[in-house]
Amino acid sequence: MEQGSGLALRIAGLVKDYGSVHAVGGIDLEVERGQVYGFLGPNGAGKSTTIRCILDLLRPTSGRIEVLGLDPRRDGVEVRGRIAYMPGELRLPERMTGHQLVATIERLRGGISDERRDALAERLDLDLKRRLRDLSSGNRRKIALLLAFAADAELLILDEPTSGLDPLMQQVFQQLVAEARAEGKTVFLSSHVLSEVQRAADRVAVLRAGKIVAMGTVEELRGRARKRVEVWFTDAPPATELAAVSGIVNPLTEGRHFSAVLDGPIQPLIELLARHPVASLLVEEPDLEEAFLDLFAKAPVGDAA
Amino acid sequence: MTNRPRPLELIATPFKGSWRAGAVWALVFALFIVATVAFWPAFKGSTALNDALKTLPAAMLQAFGLDDFATPAGYLRGGLYDVLIPLMFAVAGAMFANSATSAEEDAGRIEMYLAQPVTRVAFMTGRIVSTMLWLVVLVIVVLVAQVLSDVLFDLQIGANQIISTVVLSGLIGVFSAAIAIAVAGITARPGLVLGVSLTVAFLGYIVAALFPISDVLKPWVGISPWDWALGGDPLVNGGELWRYLALIVPSAVLAIVGVVAFNRRDIRAA
Repeated sequence: MEQGSGLALRIAGLVKDYGSVHAVGGIDLEVERGQVYGFLGPNGAGKSTTIRCILDLLRPTSGRIEVLGLDPRRDGVEVRGRIAYMPGELRLPERMTGHQLVATIERLRGGISDERRDALAERLDLDLKRRLRDLSSGNRRKIALLLAFAADAELLILDEPTSGLDPLMQQVFQQLVAEARAEGKTVFLSSHVLSEVQRAADRVAVLRAGKIVAMGTVEELRGRARKRVEVWFTDAPPATELAAVSGIVNPLTEGRHFSAVLDGPIQPLIELLARHPVASLLVEEPDLEEAFLDLFAKAPVGDAA
Repeated sequence: MTNRPRPLELIATPFKGSWRAGAVWALVFALFIVATVAFWPAFKGSTALNDALKTLPAAMLQAFGLDDFATPAGYLRGGLYDVLIPLMFAVAGAMFANSATSAEEDAGRIEMYLAQPVTRVAFMTGRIVSTMLWLVVLVIVVLVAQVLSDVLFDLQIGANQIISTVVLSGLIGVFSAAIAIAVAGITARPGLVLGVSLTVAFLGYIVAALFPISDVLKPWVGISPWDWALGGDPLVNGGELWRYLALIVPSAVLAIVGVVAFNRRDIRAA
């Protein structure tokens, strides 16, 4: 990948082992510039390990990472100068005030204006004069958010950014992500909370046990998830035929009512129903939380789509 | 705020972060020195004490620097510079280095800095320079406290001898810090870092103090950094150039080992 190409991030065959523990077991993904990319997975799936490899905090066992066309190992200073990072596990220097911390980071990387800092502090309802040890965990996360969004970075890597934030601040976060995208920045958003990703992300990769088990737009992944189907017939339901439809799980017939879970394409069911007198049909889109939990649970590791 | 990164921040941040520890160490050093020298007038020219000490085994007197207690050099050696001040420098050096490196990494606080556009080499070098600056501050504090106490309590000893002794004692702290940095570069385990550096300091003292007593072990006294620093009795003879180099050169090598190792390994997560 050459500098200036359309990719903000390319990961190919990334493996990270800790002795016999395989934290990341061969990840491939590409993030285009200007995208908001959701990196989803349960705790311990390998999200933070992947991110720490991107930042060259960890050295991959094997595989290749390119960030903004650069090698984070060889060109680490330039790469990190163009990245803003919000860590998932936040440990801040306790004795500093928020102002002092922002000033320290500004002196290390430059490019954080007082105006931008103050505007973000106001939006995040953050008192930068207070010592960091006196702040709640939510306010500490706001400090980290401020540092990430105040930096003049092309790629924002945010690891579990809204953990501990109240709903109002989660809204502010969504606005900040939208503004960053509008400015042409790329946002790599790691989370185990689907709601924060579904509103913001253009594309999503789902990680489980160190491997990507699903990849696509939120809608595509939702489409792959199980659906709840309920049908009311004007006569007795064709129970045997319904139970034989591909993907039908847990069929239940009660009088003229039939319900089941559909784990597959809906077309065969529609074709069957077309031949019978249907009074009403309900196909419930899966709750995203359920859909992704379903993906976490059922997708064979290494079977990314 | 400017738009240009200022890498000196990599020194200033850990230096400022250690100011409480630095202030406490400075105070403790100064208090020990003043309190010890304050009793000099009572010991000055006292033959009774020397006579009493002579009843102790010669080996014990030599081991703890208690011979010749009635002279200025003997008094300072026995009271401060044979054990106490070099040991305090060794502990301070290990602790400053540990708190700037492995303790910070173990607490998950260096990730925030290493995610910025700085190299690991620059980061670790900043931590090393900060540690050395604090040791320089402590050497200056000890020198000032010693000179003022000497003047105040009429302890007459040559400036060259005092400066040599204090600087060589400080270099024991530098050596101890360098060991801590080397271990911290290899692994972010504060207990191990402190354990290794303080064990080396303690063993170094044991070798320098006790090996000369034994005819069998005496030839091996030269393996001790304490002997390199203070084996020539700098309170009497000043310090030869090689003694400074004998501590500075291996310290520099150990620091480089720490930087290189740190540049090659994973950074511990919070």
